[in-house]
Amino acid sequence: MNSSPLLRIENLRTFFYSQRKHAFVRAVDGVTLDVGRSETVGLVGESGSGKSITAMSVMGLLRGGPGVIGGRIEFESAHGRQNLLEKLQAFVEVHEQNGRVMSVSKDEKGWRKASERIMRNYRGKEISMIFQNPRTSLNPYMTVGGQIAESIRLHTANRSESEARERALYWLERVKIDSPKLRYKTYPAVMSGGMCQRAMIAMALSAEPSMLIADEPTTGLDATIQSKIVDLLEELKSETHISTLLISHDISVISRLSDRVAIMYGGAVVEFGPARQVLDPHEEARHPYTAALIDSVPSQQKIRDKSNLQAIEGDVLDTINVPAGCRFYDRCNRVKDGIRERCATQHPPLQEISSGHHMRCWLFAKG
Amino acid sequence: MKNRPYRVILITLLRELFLTMLLLVGVSVVVFAILYAAPGDPFSALLEGQLATDEVREQIRIAMGAQQSWYAQYFSWLFSVLSGNFGTSVRTGLPVSGELFTVSINTLKLTVGSMLITLLVAVPIALYTAMRDHRVVLGWPLTMFGYLISSLPLFWFGYIIIYISIHGFHFFPLASFGGESWLHTLVPVLVLGLGSGTISEVIRQLREEMTRVLGEDYVRTARAKGASVWKHAFKEGVLLPVTEIIAAKIPFILGGAVIVEQIFNWPGMGRMAWQAALDRDFPVIMGIVLIAASFVRMGSLLQRMVFIAVNPHRQRE
Repeated sequence: MNSSPLLRIENLRTFFYSQRKHAFVRAVDGVTLDVGRSETVGLVGESGSGKSITAMSVMGLLRGGPGVIGGRIEFESAHGRQNLLEKLQAFVEVHEQNGRVMSVSKDEKGWRKASERIMRNYRGKEISMIFQNPRTSLNPYMTVGGQIAESIRLHTANRSESEARERALYWLERVKIDSPKLRYKTYPAVMSGGMCQRAMIAMALSAEPSMLIADEPTTGLDATIQSKIVDLLEELKSETHISTLLISHDISVISRLSDRVAIMYGGAVVEFGPARQVLDPHEEARHPYTAALIDSVPSQQKIRDKSNLQAIEGDVLDTINVPAGCRFYDRCNRVKDGIRERCATQHPPLQEISSGHHMRCWLFAKG
Repeated sequence: MKNRPYRVILITLLRELFLTMLLLVGVSVVVFAILYAAPGDPFSALLEGQLATDEVREQIRIAMGAQQSWYAQYFSWLFSVLSGNFGTSVRTGLPVSGELFTVSINTLKLTVGSMLITLLVAVPIALYTAMRDHRVVLGWPLTMFGYLISSLPLFWFGYIIIYISIHGFHFFPLASFGGESWLHTLVPVLVLGLGSGTISEVIRQLREEMTRVLGEDYVRTARAKGASVWKHAFKEGVLLPVTEIIAAKIPFILGGAVIVEQIFNWPGMGRMAWQAALDRDFPVIMGIVLIAASFVRMGSLLQRMVFIAVNPHRQRE
């Protein structure tokens, strides 16, 4: 599986410049992960950890500067492997001092042009995306069916209007929208959030892409609707074998759908491995942040035991003033005397601690 | 739940037309009352320079029905208007309706033409500066150009253009309705379009609207699925604001038309209104007021129609 992943993100860095604070927000700082064929990879983290920005960087949808400033995003399609950030280096100049980015000059216009040219072949066609807030993500001025048919006509061989309509109705049925013929003609304003998300999923899959990026697909929906959407995604996953990058802060959603899980903290992946190993509360080799994250999730077992929910101490990392050492150092409860020095001063590398299980922590560092 | 846009449009159209009737009646009452209360009357204007005796004056008054109370005069006017008769001009003695028709068509040409000019200049500037979210080198000078053009006073701008076109290009006569030289007729249209002071506002309003729409979630979805951003943002980002702007700016353009028609001797409503106001020519003033009010009303009617046609469900929110 790892020999030739569908999507491979390597050391991605996406910064934003904060005019008010005259500093860089290091939204994504060194994300490395890969998604294999017909595999679902979950991306978990707190709000502000850079999950969505990672996805938007892959799609080239970011607005505001400087945006993506480094790394590789490799994607394999029928036309071969391509680095989606191929020409990036020609447009960006990063000045670093002691490992800190001091200034970035980027030719936004040139880069946007180059990026649009590359991404034109991928957006919708190879990589589809669904978002949170499905109601605002659908165009309120177009019928639901019209939007799905548009996607079909843009990216598949069904070019004629009637063919596209047939396909759109098929996909509406596939995502279990009741009376698809009626829904085809309605506007998003008269549909519920869950229904809109189903329509979004239909729209994303109707172009028959090889990859789906689901950015918080269940956030903002009712709990019952959430579980139904997850059911639907689970079903579609087993039927279509589409590769999925699933972004969520909801560990229960991630654990139901993912084959592998990446945990993000402060703009970097801190742990990446098979879902069973990463999310297993009894697993020994766990990143302290992952452990804290899982302990903070209410489970039936914990409710039965009436044990207190564990909140993670401290605040979400300030991505402007990133500490020199481990980013989780201030909140970590497993710093031992032997490694305290290194934790405080050196940023740990992402190392493979067992087959397919990567960790960014000095506790498990080799050598 | 069933989607029947045409029926919704029809119902709204009828309702709006009914409201328009009420509005026109209201406007006519107010203007009539103001005219009645204003000093001066058509007879002194009519008899200016003539040595008419008080006796003669009184006879004319009685002949024109001016001795009645003001509401009796209003209702007799209203009923004759409802039967299609706008009365006769005090000054010329000719029926108002025929003249009103040709004159309002001329003004319509002027206002529609200059509105088009305004939009042709302002819309590309607004969209150009909105479509690119990184800094546009040309954006600032273009915006400044809009503000500059809009701050030129119309009466000054018009005379300068006349001066330049005659002395610089021997471009003459301006605003002639002969038909052989439509280019000459274009000059006042250009002047009103550029100088009516609406360009900068149109630029600002449209750019803000378009920038907002470009940041909407559904436009992001369109980009993510590889569809044209332009196509998805068009309805909310261009069509709706532009019709809104047209509806909102018609009164300003009509106001500007009065000045431009004076300067260029354009045989339109504004010039006629000006003359009628000097003459205290009540039937003409009332007729023009009604036509102008219905122009303004038609603008907002158009806006409502487009709004509903664009999305039949939005109106309920």
